[in-house]
Amino acid sequence: MPDHTSTNKDKDHTSNGMPCHEFDGLLSDALDGVLTGARLDGFQAHARACSVCGPLFAEVEAGRNWLKDLTEAEPPVSLITNILASTTGVDTQRLRVNVSASQPRVSWLGASWLERAQAWASGAMQPIWGTVRQPRFAMSFGMAFFSLSVALSVLGVKPADLRQVSLRPTAIRHTYYNTQARVVRYYENIRFVYEVESRVRELKRTVAPAERPSGEAAPEKKDHKNDTTQQPEQKQDRDYSQSGNHLILASAPLGPSVFDPLNQDPLNQDPLNQDPLNPDLPVVSGTTCRRLV
Amino acid sequence: MEDVQVVAMLVRRCVAGDAAAWEEIVQTYNRRIYNICYRFAGSSDDAEDLAQEVFIKMYRTLASYDSSKGALVTWVTTITRNLLVDHFRKTKQDRITDSLDAATSAHEDAQPLSEQIQDQSAPPDARVRSREVGESVHAALAKLSPELREAVILRDLQDFDYREIATVLKVPEGTVKSRINRGRAELARLLQRTYRQVM
Repeated sequence: MPDHTSTNKDKDHTSNGMPCHEFDGLLSDALDGVLTGARLDGFQAHARACSVCGPLFAEVEAGRNWLKDLTEAEPPVSLITNILASTTGVDTQRLRVNVSASQPRVSWLGASWLERAQAWASGAMQPIWGTVRQPRFAMSFGMAFFSLSVALSVLGVKPADLRQVSLRPTAIRHTYYNTQARVVRYYENIRFVYEVESRVRELKRTVAPAERPSGEAAPEKKDHKNDTTQQPEQKQDRDYSQSGNHLILASAPLGPSVFDPLNQDPLNQDPLNQDPLNPDLPVVSGTTCRRLV
Repeated sequence: MEDVQVVAMLVRRCVAGDAAAWEEIVQTYNRRIYNICYRFAGSSDDAEDLAQEVFIKMYRTLASYDSSKGALVTWVTTITRNLLVDHFRKTKQDRITDSLDAATSAHEDAQPLSEQIQDQSAPPDARVRSREVGESVHAALAKLSPELREAVILRDLQDFDYREIATVLKVPEGTVKSRINRGRAELARLLQRTYRQVM
């Protein structure tokens, strides 16, 4: 039996005008039946004459015949189901029913334009529909529906009310004006509330200056309690206000008649305007209400 | 082999998330993929696992398929072949490298191959004989080197042309032809040796 390695040694060997390496190259074509004419004759002549290539050709042909008898193996029944389960996670039987139901075969020759349009639309919508049917999209739609139903129930909209809705033009117009009036009323009410609030705030602001001095004492006391610095208090709360009927001494002379050295007549002097300590200066009485800020 | 436009549309639908399109692809190619895996791995259990792996990988990378670069079947077969080579490398230590007399598959009887072939002279019927011959060839195929085996499987069992095989194996067409012929010859030698032992 010729060894295949021996063919390498005899690469340059030539029988009937054809070298062995050329025979090797034509081997596949000869077995496939695509070799014809003079080349086929040369190939066959070389196979008969060469002690290496002849048996090699017989072996290759035998091997191919063995493989030809080999029948196709039957895949396990569960293979498709397992593949689909491990990829899409969708049951194959259910899908098969859906596919056959959703894709009716339309014969283009006998179909009307409506059927053609439907077939075209179903084909065009197939990818979109396939996407929508994915579990994640179904979940999103579920959440959207839930949110909508909750919102409607909060707003007081009931499905039973929708049945009684009249779709006549006059009824729709009436509903529109009613809704508009409701919105305007709501807005006006809000504006009224804001106006009232602003007035109240202004009133408080005008009343506040009179109330604040008495109201400021309390927070100061609280500050003393919270003071943990152990620093001596600074006496800054000096009251510069003059409460009660303080007397203000006028430093300026009232007139030449008062300080007139020439007018020394005691009879011309007003006794009410005389200071008991300084009888030469007039006394002015005044009340002030000054506040430290 | 396949209508390019139909397949391209099918792939587009599948990439868009159409589960029905994916099922159609699985239905179309599962038998071919399983057979390649079965003939290469030699075991039906391994073949089932490998075929499943091929489709999982295909499902994940289907968006990268470019119909202008080649047919889907070539692309799928390339994925299969790469996975089979990986599997072959991983299981190199575990592989049985005994002679043809060793039992090779769970499907087969525990008898050595020579004893199985011995029954050929008096088969109960033609179907059983055909099955036994098939198992013998399958066992002999498993004895070929991976390079020769994959070339022979793709050519003689899957009917790929030389150009497609060259694309899948990433070797020139001349190398493909050479490997196929060497594989066939090696297979014939193995089977003749077994028959001679029996006789």
